[in-house]
Amino acid sequence: MTDQTLSRPAIVTGVKIEARQALIALAVVVVIAVLPELLNNYWLRTFISAAALAIASLSVSLLFAQLGMVSLAQFGLLGVGGWFALRVSHGFAVPFEVALVVGGVAAAIVGLVVGLPALRMRGLYLAIITLMMAGALQVLISAFGFPDGGSGILGKSSTARKMMARPFLANGDEAYLRYALVVLTICYVIVWMHVRSRPGRAWAMIRRGEVCALACGVDIVAYKVWAFALAGFLAGVAGGVLAGGIGQLDGSAFPASQSIMLFALTIVGGAYSCAGPLVAALLLRAFPSLLNDWHVDGNIATMVFGAGLLHALITAPNGVAGQIADAGSALARLVRRAKGKGKP
Amino acid sequence: MIEIDNVTVMFGGVRGLNALSATLPEPVTGLVGPNGAGKTTLINVLSGFVRPTAGTVRIDGRDLAGIRPHKRAAFGIRRTFQNEQVVENLSAADNIAAVLDNVPTSGEPRTRLIARALDFVGLVSKANVLGRDLNAFDRRMVEIARATVGRPKLIMMDEPGAGLAQDESERLRDVIRNIHGFCGAQILLVDHDVDLISATCVTTLVLDFGSKLAYGPTAAALADPKVRAAYLGVVEEAA
Repeated sequence: MTDQTLSRPAIVTGVKIEARQALIALAVVVVIAVLPELLNNYWLRTFISAAALAIASLSVSLLFAQLGMVSLAQFGLLGVGGWFALRVSHGFAVPFEVALVVGGVAAAIVGLVVGLPALRMRGLYLAIITLMMAGALQVLISAFGFPDGGSGILGKSSTARKMMARPFLANGDEAYLRYALVVLTICYVIVWMHVRSRPGRAWAMIRRGEVCALACGVDIVAYKVWAFALAGFLAGVAGGVLAGGIGQLDGSAFPASQSIMLFALTIVGGAYSCAGPLVAALLLRAFPSLLNDWHVDGNIATMVFGAGLLHALITAPNGVAGQIADAGSALARLVRRAKGKGKP
Repeated sequence: MIEIDNVTVMFGGVRGLNALSATLPEPVTGLVGPNGAGKTTLINVLSGFVRPTAGTVRIDGRDLAGIRPHKRAAFGIRRTFQNEQVVENLSAADNIAAVLDNVPTSGEPRTRLIARALDFVGLVSKANVLGRDLNAFDRRMVEIARATVGRPKLIMMDEPGAGLAQDESERLRDVIRNIHGFCGAQILLVDHDVDLISATCVTTLVLDFGSKLAYGPTAAALADPKVRAAYLGVVEEAA
C-alpha cells in the first residue's frame, strides 16, 4: 500500500523529467547545427563571445542561486583563464582543449583564493571583498598586458600580435561557434550534475542556514570551497573560449565594472533559471551588437540594463527567463482551456 | 545515554549553564524550564554549536569534545529547530537524502530508507513536494524524518509543538512517542507545553538559571514545589 502511493508520483515525475530532458537535448542539437548557418561574420563573432559569456554568467548564477553568495570577481577570473589559456597555447603549442582546461584550472585556483573570505562572510561584505579582488585582478592584468605570442612567462612580443590557435576541428568562425556552443553545453551538464546530486543538496542546506547544514552533517567549508573552485573553473573556461574566439585578448577588457555588469545581467536574465545565463549573455553581447546594427549607439544598452535590473529586482525575481517560463505556462493553460471547451 | 558532567557555559559574563551535571538514561526525556533557563544552550552544547567553558558531555560513553560539529550528525546526534529549518528548494524526499549524504547507513538502498522515514511521519504522498510548498506541520514532520535516518543515537527537539493546532499536536505526540521504537534513538524534548511533555516523556529534567532544579519521573519532577515556584514565581515559605 505504502509502496504504491510512493512509487506512483515518483514514476510520473520521472517520465516527465526524461521527456523534458530529451526535448532540451534535441533543442540543443538543433541550435548547434542550425544557428551558425544563419549568421553572417559579424553575428558569428558576436555569438561566439555570447557563448563564452554565457559560461561566465553560469558561474555567477552557480554561486548566487545555489549558495546565495555574491561574487563580483567572476569577470576578472575570466581574464585569468584567458591569460593562462593564451600563454599555454602560445608558449607550448598545445591543443586548444589543453589550453582551455589549463585556463579553467588556473582560474579555479585564483577563484579559491577569492572564495576564502566567503568562509566567514556573506552578503554585502562578501560582495565588496570580491569586488576588490576584481579590482586587483584588473590592475594586475592591465599592468602586465596579455600574452601575445612572445617568449617568457608574460609572453610579450615587440612585433605584431599572434593569434591564438583554434582547435584544429574548428578553425573557421562557423565551426568555432559550434565548438563554443558544445563547450557551453558541457559546462551546463557539469553544473546540472552537481546540482542534482550530493553537492547540490549540500549547497541547498548551506543556503537555508548554516546551523541547518551543520546539524545535518554538511561540511560547510569543503562545499563552499568546492563551489568557488567550480565557479572559477567555469569563468576560466569562458576566458579560454573568448580568447580562442577573438584570437587575442586586451588587457583593458577586464575592468572590475564588467564583473558588476555580469552579475547584474545574470540577475536580469534569471539566476535561478537554467536559461538565465543564456539571456544574460545575449543581453551582454548580442543586444549592443543589435543596437549597432540599427546604427544606434551601443552604449544605450547600459541604460537599458539599469532599467532592466530595477525591473528584475522589483517585479521579477526570477528574471527574464522566469518571465518567459511564466508566459509559456500561461499559454499552455490557455491552450488546455481552449481544448477543454472544444470537447462536448 | 546522555551524561552531562559539571558543564558551564559563559556568554561574556552571563552563565548560560552553571556547573550542570545530569545523567539521562531514559529513551524519552523532557527538558523544561522558564525562559533563559539554558534549555537551548544545553542542546547547542550537545550539537557542538556552543563550546562549553568547562565540563564534559558524553553520549553512550563517548566524549563529544573530540567530535567536530559537522561530524556529530554522522556520530548520531540530530536535532530539530525552534524555527524549522526545512530546505525550501528541495523536495521532502531530497531533504532526507541531503542528510543521508552525510551519515552512515546500514547499506539499505537510499530510496527505501527515504520511503520508510516519510512513511513514519505520514508524508509519503508528499515525497516530491518542495519544502516551500509544505505547511508548517508537514515541515516539522520533514525535520523529524530527517533526524531519524542513518542510525541516530540522540534526537533533540527544540519546541516541536510551537504554533501547531490541537489535532496537529496530537499527531506530533504520537510521532514523538514512536521515534525511539522506529530508529532506536534517545529523545531529548524541549517544550513549554506541559501536556506534551507529560504525555511523551518518561523522565524530565528541569533547569533554572543554568542549573538543575529537579530531575525524575515526569509527574514527580513537574509537581516539585521548587519547580512550581520557578514557573509561577511563588516564594516558598515553608522550608
